[in-house]
Amino acid sequence: MDSELIHQIRNQACDLLESGTVKGVIGYERASDGLTARPVFAYEPAAVERLVFDETCTHNLVKYLLDKKAEKMAVVVKPCDSRTINLLLNEKQIKRETVFIIGVTCPGVVETSWNYKGQTLQARCQTCQFSKPLVYDFLAEHEPVERPKGELYLNIQEMETKPIMVRRNFWLEQFEHCVRCYACRQVCPGCYCPQCFVEQLDPLWVGIRIAPKENELWQIMRAFHLAGRCIGCDECQRVCPVDIPLSLLNRKLEKEVKELFDFQAGLNPEGQPPLATFKKEEELGFEE
Amino acid sequence: MNLEYQPKVVGFLCNWCSYVGADMAGTSRISYAPNIRILRVPCSGRVNPMLLLKCFQQGADGVLVSGCHPGDCHYNEGNYHARRSLALLRDFLDYLGIAKERLRVEWVSASEGQRFAEIVSNFTTELTKLGPRSES
Amino acid sequence: MKLFIFKEEVIRWLDQLLRERILVAPVQVQGSTLFQPVSKVEEIAFDFGNTTLSPKGWFLPSTEVLFSVQSNDGQPKLVPATVEKDAVIFGMRPCDARGIALLDAPLLREPGDTLYQERRARTSIIGLSCRHVQPECFCTSVGSAPNDPNHVDILLTEIENGYLVQVITEKGKALLPEALAESEETLPPPLEPQAVPVKEVTLAIRELFNNPYWERLADRCLHCNICAYVCPTCYCFDVRDYSNKGNLERVRSWDSCQAPGFSQIAGGYDLRTTKGARLRQRFYHKLLYFPEQFGAVACVGCGRCVKSCPVNIDIREVMSDLQQLEAKSGC
Repeated sequence: MDSELIHQIRNQACDLLESGTVKGVIGYERASDGLTARPVFAYEPAAVERLVFDETCTHNLVKYLLDKKAEKMAVVVKPCDSRTINLLLNEKQIKRETVFIIGVTCPGVVETSWNYKGQTLQARCQTCQFSKPLVYDFLAEHEPVERPKGELYLNIQEMETKPIMVRRNFWLEQFEHCVRCYACRQVCPGCYCPQCFVEQLDPLWVGIRIAPKENELWQIMRAFHLAGRCIGCDECQRVCPVDIPLSLLNRKLEKEVKELFDFQAGLNPEGQPPLATFKKEEELGFEE
Repeated sequence: MNLEYQPKVVGFLCNWCSYVGADMAGTSRISYAPNIRILRVPCSGRVNPMLLLKCFQQGADGVLVSGCHPGDCHYNEGNYHARRSLALLRDFLDYLGIAKERLRVEWVSASEGQRFAEIVSNFTTELTKLGPRSES
Repeated sequence: MKLFIFKEEVIRWLDQLLRERILVAPVQVQGSTLFQPVSKVEEIAFDFGNTTLSPKGWFLPSTEVLFSVQSNDGQPKLVPATVEKDAVIFGMRPCDARGIALLDAPLLREPGDTLYQERRARTSIIGLSCRHVQPECFCTSVGSAPNDPNHVDILLTEIENGYLVQVITEKGKALLPEALAESEETLPPPLEPQAVPVKEVTLAIRELFNNPYWERLADRCLHCNICAYVCPTCYCFDVRDYSNKGNLERVRSWDSCQAPGFSQIAGGYDLRTTKGARLRQRFYHKLLYFPEQFGAVACVGCGRCVKSCPVNIDIREVMSDLQQLEAKSGC
């Protein structure tokens, strides 16, 4: 654990709370297993002693800003999380002046679950392009750390080369495991619809039945609704209780959006996301 | 009785161009593969990817979405959005095991009755060769 | 002398049971172990801590059709759901068995949930004592134990080469293969999971309804359905009617009080709109309402919620916090 980094975060948080600049600071604290991290909301200066930052801080805390729109809050963000801030600014879900962003230079996070801390960096960290948050009000800096420069989309390409029926059966089996807990949706900062399509009664897209066809609709359409919006934090995959490889789904669309529209989500708080705009002349495979 | 495999095809045709084009094929007495069931929508841009996925789930072997030529959309931009959205969807469905050849996107104007007939017959032939969706 | 069964004999025995009944057992599925009907005894995972989802899913499935109404050419025909075969669940931990027994209280009282009732009657339970305590376990604090023989039909305890067999009920006796060996081995000493203060929690929680503790705790809650779905004693469900080409099915699926909109009623009114209210509801149901109605806390200490919660909302911590809060307020 980098104690210098943590002191910077704690001092900044304390200043913000003591001065009343923010109502609360959303950060990380030690979980009940004494090993991993969990989100914490510090509302009093004394509470900042609980703040930590280490390689178990996998959670994307930006989601919580959507529950706290009425107050100014501070949030601790890793580079990937900062892209979420840009996404939500772009989609007018949060106002820049109601967020104080405590950015952290991140050496990557490891696989974690309760009472378990992995040894290797998460797949998303191995291909991460950013060592510093893209937007912040205060930067807590770490010494630069060598991170493996993995090649993007290797596992997607591997899936693409498999015969189509192998892919079909793979995904059918995965969707069978889904129990529709919606943890993937609830943890995702990009999923904030007041009424999710899966809960709509009219038109009835999915319904409450937990069965392969319904699960397939749910999974595919959630991924599709995130096309061009998902910033690849892979939190959905982490929280899934039955280990569905959601990253394999979302990254495919991320790759397609990049190839077709030369666009990556969360880099810019301004501008038009690809599915909200168009070019009059563009070749997307449907030429006459 | 023809016992060979007959693909089930669903077509989403935009009201202003493609549907009229299909109608023209009819009034001109042009024959084309009868496997298609046509649904009239106001614009190709209105076609929700969920609808297409449901078609495949409910037994469609192929889905055709047809709209006005880019630049001629009755609502100015609907077909541009359809073009982007369906390009993504087609690649994504292929990745999920629904062959990209099963989702066809075409631009048919109101006067292109002959062309509509050719498109549908051609699509149906392709689908017959591909086989039922549940098996490929 | 205790009854004993060799490991190879267990395989043969289960194989025999499989011929006449559905055999539900722990199976390795990707990264988790889950209770599933097996077609071959080889599929069973014998060495496991506990499953990700509890075995309540056998008695109260995550989704089922309650009945269907078939259009039948204009003469509507009601087709109730039926339970096809007898079943046996192998490998249920004592905490989970207690969980099923707790579910009986709300689900079997008059008028009784017919499908649950029938599955309960036609399913035998072969329990499996725990050889290891998981870090999240606390069964002894809530009325169970790693070797608790209550609520199963047979309890197996693994020792070298096989299992000691305790026959608990007549139903269990009927399951056993003919002649079982005997062993002079004694049951191993009981394991000791972590103790959690639970004694005063029902009294404490009664006084804390309006305490800001709940909104604070709920700050990090995602309001997904994981805790309710993995829990052996949560049983909320939703019922909807779906029709397809004139045939109607009444479908029941699991639901969770944590989900936003769970308590929304006709007209749009929702009595638990805040995160704190929803989170509070789950703990109140488990630690106050259920004990007041049925006499026991609706928690068996399996620790699944602790293990699976993406943001580490830990019921042991909550129970401890509540008792401390109540003590501090000096009542």
